[in-house]
Amino acid sequence: MSTAPSPLAALAAEHGLQRVGVRPPLRRYLATMWQRRHFAVSLAGSKAYARNQGNYLGQVWALLNPVLWALVYLLVFGVLLDTSRGVENFIGFLVVGVFMFHFSSASITTGSNAIVGNQGLITSLQFPRALLPIASVLAELVTLVPALVVLLVLVPLTGEPFAWTWLLLPLAVGLQWVFGTGVALVCARLVSQWRDVKQLIPFVLRALMYVSGVFFSIDHYVGSGTAAAVLSHQPVAVYLELVRGTLLSEVPLTPALWAWAAGWALVTLVLGFVFFWHAEERYGRG
Amino acid sequence: MADRPSLIVDDVHVTYRTYGGRRLTARQQKTWHTIGRHVGAVDKVRAVRGISFVADHGESIGVIGHNGSGKSTLLRAIAGVLPTESGAVYADGTASLLGVNAALMRDLTGERNIVLGGLALGQTPTQVEERFDEVVDFAGIGDFLQLPMRAYSSGMGSRLRFAISSAARPDIVMIDEALSTGDAEFRRRSRERVDQIRSEAGTVLLVSHSMSTIRSMCDRVLWVDGGRLRLDGQVDEVLEAYAEATGRPVARRTPARSRAVAG
Repeated sequence: MSTAPSPLAALAAEHGLQRVGVRPPLRRYLATMWQRRHFAVSLAGSKAYARNQGNYLGQVWALLNPVLWALVYLLVFGVLLDTSRGVENFIGFLVVGVFMFHFSSASITTGSNAIVGNQGLITSLQFPRALLPIASVLAELVTLVPALVVLLVLVPLTGEPFAWTWLLLPLAVGLQWVFGTGVALVCARLVSQWRDVKQLIPFVLRALMYVSGVFFSIDHYVGSGTAAAVLSHQPVAVYLELVRGTLLSEVPLTPALWAWAAGWALVTLVLGFVFFWHAEERYGRG
Repeated sequence: MADRPSLIVDDVHVTYRTYGGRRLTARQQKTWHTIGRHVGAVDKVRAVRGISFVADHGESIGVIGHNGSGKSTLLRAIAGVLPTESGAVYADGTASLLGVNAALMRDLTGERNIVLGGLALGQTPTQVEERFDEVVDFAGIGDFLQLPMRAYSSGMGSRLRFAISSAARPDIVMIDEALSTGDAEFRRRSRERVDQIRSEAGTVLLVSHSMSTIRSMCDRVLWVDGGRLRLDGQVDEVLEAYAEATGRPVARRTPARSRAVAG
């Protein structure tokens, strides 16, 4: 408010009291986040852990889950159907696609719920709220690790030779993780302000699944031209292509692809973070 | 008072949105407004409507009022976890809120919750480790520490939460009925902890429906009614006025004691 400060505000200023519950400047916000980084890491680890803790096999499910998914795809596409669709190592192509797409879609889903779904934490503790979507996506990354182990066992079994590009897998996954964090920050704010956005997210994700080349090669089906160019340069498709490029010899790993992947990650993270921070003092109002 | 203020609440209003239902007037229910129950079932609750007060270092203030009068919402706004619609809260140092509903992670074990809670309150991993045993001792929940919190009784849960939050040594501590769920021994311990915080020049705000708790722990009382401050003053004075207004006889400390002696 632009009116003259009230007597109480003057008293607060006189004794050097700090105002509570206002959005801190970006620099201080980042500093506090860095100071509380252990909280985000610990929260992410705990969430990923708690996910599998509710049954007898417990943490065995962390590994069993991706193994079973891989077996389902092997059975359907390797044994029952024979649909290579212009791809030599279709099983490798498909499993990488499915696992990595699931990482992105799960990041967006849990990230969008990070504010609305953690009201208990928000209404009892004061900490930079951006840590919540960040921790949600980090939890998905932790969940992805056993799936990556399964990939590293499965891909050679499909006849794929080892290559030095395998060493780039963590970098590719890392870029995808940064991108997912950026999107999660945007969605977390949108859902906290307009709950109805949450209802739309599954439709967007399903549409993304069909246009990102999870089950088929975009080049092969859409061909060339503007439509294909747009489809293959949108971020979700870029990361699928990038991870496939590191593991599968038939998918070329070009510098342009790396540039697109890094660009999307950086732009999404910066915009998403600023967008989220702008409403910092409003989270918690329900 | 000539003391240094530790907390200034300046004309605070708090409004929050709630989803899933909406209040309609009798007239609206007879018109097409009825549809508002099914579509756009979002309502605004004006829980706090202009509260101001100043608290000093070392002061212990009780907050009383009916259920739904805005006490808990006020404390949340002071803790900075619920945004204010207008007005401002100023604090000297960190404020920490201990409440019955201060949900930690129900699916995680007590141990994990101790670590997470400490980190969330801004402690370093080393500090959390150093204070771990102290928290465990204070909570006194034995081997339940290794069970998920959803297996805890409400009393055990609030013991653990109280232990976690107060280990962070906040400058201003707000207790929202958390003490009423504990047993006698826990109440004694938490009273000691509150006295310790006060002796370190901290400020304590205590919401309670137990007049005896307010009497034994506070030296000033705020009476919140309908989101506004109805009375702010000495314990006896406010409790008496509250008892009169609610029609509930409240035994005063001095007569109560003499009766005990007589009996």
